[in-house]
Amino acid sequence: MTTVTSTLAEYRRRLATNRLGLWLFILSDSFVFGGLYVSRFYLLGTQGRPDVNQFVGFVVTSVLLVSSFFMNRAETAMAHGDRKTFLRGTLTTLILGAVFLLGVVGVEWQIAPFGPGDGTAASLFYTMTGFHAFHVLTGLIFLAVVYRNGRKGLYSPERHWAVEACAVYWHFIDVVWIFCCPALYLIGRPPI
Amino acid sequence: MDEKAIDNNEMEARKLEAFRVGAGVLILLAVMTIGEFWIGAVASAWWAPLLSIAVLKAFFVMRDYMHLPRLFAPEEAEE
Repeated sequence: MTTVTSTLAEYRRRLATNRLGLWLFILSDSFVFGGLYVSRFYLLGTQGRPDVNQFVGFVVTSVLLVSSFFMNRAETAMAHGDRKTFLRGTLTTLILGAVFLLGVVGVEWQIAPFGPGDGTAASLFYTMTGFHAFHVLTGLIFLAVVYRNGRKGLYSPERHWAVEACAVYWHFIDVVWIFCCPALYLIGRPPI
Repeated sequence: MDEKAIDNNEMEARKLEAFRVGAGVLILLAVMTIGEFWIGAVASAWWAPLLSIAVLKAFFVMRDYMHLPRLFAPEEAEE
């Protein structure tokens, strides 16, 4: 019993370090996106925003926000020992994340009346959405691993750091998009 | 009622409360996103309110979904 208690105490100590490490990674990744935002706003002073479809922007943004809700639900469920809701929430997040990726790469990129080579604003649009899409893809892989491990019963209410890390990473992707969305779809005059 | 049943009930109540907070944040995010796109459609030059909404949305996600305050909790605090 003493061994179990001390192991759990050790796990909690490591958890604090793990959290700090994850947040440091998130902070460093934010600087890369920060550079892209600065470029985007610099260009807004010299030219309008690219001719993007605001409706598609609204749909993909909504899908990502709802996916964050289900991720939070999944993590909360695991923290309280509700494995069924955890699995359902993780799977829903995975599906919504795939829909988001399809919406940006499969729809927005295809219907955009400009290509990556049509000026700096257009190039930056593809850079920002593409860089974010890669993060989404990474998050989907992470989610698939967590879902698989969850099905095998590898997590418990006391030990589920992987689930927490996956959730924090997924919400980070959401926060990045929260700033990408107005920068790319809303702010600045559309081309005439 | 034995001790284990009381623990389970308490855990269930805490879970439901956490679910309720999550749903509340989703509603807030939905309202702000609709407002954001409305402003973007009628006055795309209003960058300040649009960025303010984005900052507010990010704040709620980081506080309630990413649990940023956990980072500052004592190392061995109970979840």
